[in-house]
Parts: sequence; C-alpha cells; structure tokens
Amino acid sequence: MLFVHEVHKVVGKASARFEGAYRNGWMPTLAEGSDARLVWYFDLAHGSGLAYRVVTITAVRDGAAWARLAKRMASGDLQAWARDLDGLQHESVGRIMVPLEWSPSLGSLEDIPTDPTEHEPTMYMEDTMWPFPGKVQDYIQAAGDVYQQALSAEGSQVQMHIELALQSMPGAGRYPEVTLMQKLSSLPPLIRLLTHDIPAAVVQPGSWMHEALEFRDQWQSRLLRTAVWSPLQ
Amino acid sequence: MLFMHETHKVIGRHASAFEDLYRNEWMAALAQSSDARLVWYLNHAMGSGPAYQVVTITALSDGAAWEDLVRRMLRGDLSDLTSRLDAERYEVTGKLLTPVFWSAMQELDLAEVHTDGREHELSVYMQDTGWPNAPLDDYIELWNHDYWQFMRRIPPEKKLLDILACFQVAHGSGFRPEAILLQKIMNFSTLGHLLTSVEEYDPTTWPGTYMTKGLDLRDQWESKLLRTSNWSPIW
Repeated sequence: MLFVHEVHKVVGKASARFEGAYRNGWMPTLAEGSDARLVWYFDLAHGSGLAYRVVTITAVRDGAAWARLAKRMASGDLQAWARDLDGLQHESVGRIMVPLEWSPSLGSLEDIPTDPTEHEPTMYMEDTMWPFPGKVQDYIQAAGDVYQQALSAEGSQVQMHIELALQSMPGAGRYPEVTLMQKLSSLPPLIRLLTHDIPAAVVQPGSWMHEALEFRDQWQSRLLRTAVWSPLQ
Repeated sequence: MLFMHETHKVIGRHASAFEDLYRNEWMAALAQSSDARLVWYLNHAMGSGPAYQVVTITALSDGAAWEDLVRRMLRGDLSDLTSRLDAERYEVTGKLLTPVFWSAMQELDLAEVHTDGREHELSVYMQDTGWPNAPLDDYIELWNHDYWQFMRRIPPEKKLLDILACFQVAHGSGFRPEAILLQKIMNFSTLGHLLTSVEEYDPTTWPGTYMTKGLDLRDQWESKLLRTSNWSPIW
C-alpha cells in the first residue's frame, strides 16, 4: 500500500467548504471504488505553527491504482472536484510514501471506514526527518530498533506510539525523507515536553537523542488534530 | 506515460562522480527493463541560477513501472546505487509529471531512447514552471490558446524556442497548482536579446497580449536555463 501525504494551505474564509469537499466529496467518492481510501484528515493545531493548514493522507493500493487516481484528477470524473478545490486552497504540497519495513500496519484498504462517524478528536505528533546523505538506511534501522522501542518503554518522555512510519518514494517528493505518524495517548507529557528543558539524561551519550545525531540533525514536528469525522482517529 | 522529474543539489566536489553514476550505472540499469528510461540529464547553466544543480527526467510507461523502479531503489538491486547517489548530493526533490492534453509530447517510444551514452553537441532548454492563482485547468488552457498556438506558428528561422512538452504535476506527487513547459532554445542571439532587453509589457500599451492577459491567472513563475550533458539520451 502507498500513501499520498498532502499539506494544504487553505483559504481561511473557505476552510469549512474545504473540509466539506473532503468529507462529502473525496471520502465517499473514493469509497465507491477499490483503489484508494482517505485515511486521515488533520488540522494543524492553531497556536503550534502555520494557520489554516490541513494534512490529508490517502491510501492507495499500489502504483497502478495511484496512476488511475491521478488520471481521474487530471482529466476524468474527479477533474471538476480538483478544480473546485483549487478555489478553496492557495496551494498544496504532496508526496507519495511507502511504509518502513518495521512500520505498524493499518490493515487493508477495505478496513478503513468510509462513513463520517464522529469521534473525539485525537492529537498526533507528525515528525519528518531528513537523514544525512547516504545515511537513510542506517537511520531507518536505528529508528526501528531504538526509537520505536523507547516510545513504548515505561517512563517514556512523551506518551505516544507510532501508528505509521513512512519514507518518501523517489520521484514523488524530497528524498530521503522519513515521516512518523505518532498518536498521543496523554496530553500532560506533551505539555511538559513543550514547557521544560530537555533533561540531561535524555541527551547524554548512549541516548537516542545523542546517538541519532550520527544519522540526522534536522527534523520538523507538527501537532495535528484529527477532524471528528476523520476515517481513522 | 509518466515523467519522473528530479532536481539534484549536488555536492560540488562530487559533480563528476555524480554524473558518472548516472551515465554509467543508472542509465544502464534502466535499460535492462522495457518500462523505464533516463531521457534527459541537464545541468543548470552556471551564471543563471543555483550552482551544482542537475535535473534528470526519467520516462516511465505507467504507475506500476514507477512503483517497480522505486522498490528496486529502496530495497532491491538498485539500493546500493541509490545510496551512492545519495552520498554525492545534498538532496533530491522529485515530482511525477503527466503531459497536458495539448502537449506535443505525449508518449515516448522507450525502445527508441538511446542507452549507450553516445556523445553529441549540447542543447540548452528553458524550463518554465508556473504557479497560477487560479484553477490549474484555466492556466493550462491559457498556455494552450495564448502561448502554444502562437509560438507554434512562428517560422523556424525566427523562433527563440521550440515547446517540446507541457506537463502538470500528477496528483499528490508535488506542488499544486503547477505546470511546466520544457522548451528547447533554438536561437541564442534571440535569447541574448530577451535577456538584455527592457520588458515592455505595460497593459495600456500591450492590451490583450499573452504577457498581459496572463496576469489574470498568474504573476509568479520561474525559468531555468538547463544545458544537456553531451551524452544525455535526448538533447
């Protein structure tokens, strides 16, 4: 399965219509076929970054299914929908990603809900990393062996777990690039992380924070909140 | 058909090694299959923009061919070559392009694309990338009606450039709205005139012209002057 990750710079005054286009247009239209499903619809939490940013993640069965979807958008039944969306967003930046070998699985496309059942919103920390030249495989290996395990350990600094671990596919975004979709299970540890200096023990030699500097030192975190109707929470 | 367009920010000291990997290994590796070919290897002309930037364009028969290629790069027989390419550049940014409905280039016969690195003279391309503030389809139509239809009728001896292809970014693989013109420079003295002349696009002086009308849809684009290597399969 592949994942189309898009960051939308939404027209503020049209944000409700933009969301409606995904909830009432994109999600049910994809549900009519077997090639693709909308997985997540996130708002970037106001107060934590750029305003009126939406992140959508759409799963597609494979490269052929993605190409069919792209053709529908360019010149098929979804062209009018795409044209309407052009008026609701200033721009969007997309990339196509594939799960890392150790990533948890979301199951099959058929398992992804397609009805807009409402839930409590869920917070995610989306981390995107850019490994040093030639270091991407080492980073991926270490992130699976060390970081993922550390997140699930008792006493973890932030209570969250990785729902999906992705890397960009060459030719469809910046490469190498790794993105972790991490679901927060408790808010107080996040607030503590944001409001306190990082403890010395967390960055000392031997720690993940210290050792992973061999592989990368640039990343970006986004705090994302699922829409109440997002297929996955 | 898909075109994998990649912009490489190459480590200056490694520029020759990077080019050699593309010429001697990447091009040859793709030639082993029937559904992918390196078609352009282009150096961003120094003096006209960023240094040590290379643009490569790989043609793919369809989406399945792209996925196959990526899996070879990430976990298959091309993973070692991909790692070595990574070590010769700071980063690479890619997008998948599809020809717009009026593009002169639609399908390439991949079997006809050279894979032997034969040498030839150099060509220079002007790659224009535009970002409309209007629906993408309207911009593509403007290019068709007011630019392509006009430019194609200019006699060869008066042509600044030849519009070889026009692309849009395939869904989810890059920026939207964005469209790209790939244009081969045919006359360098006309290019010199273009670069050194003062623009006279005052709407009151030139009402209805492409440059003026185009402002209704966009006022931001970027031109890159790209020079083929002397072995680029297409030049």
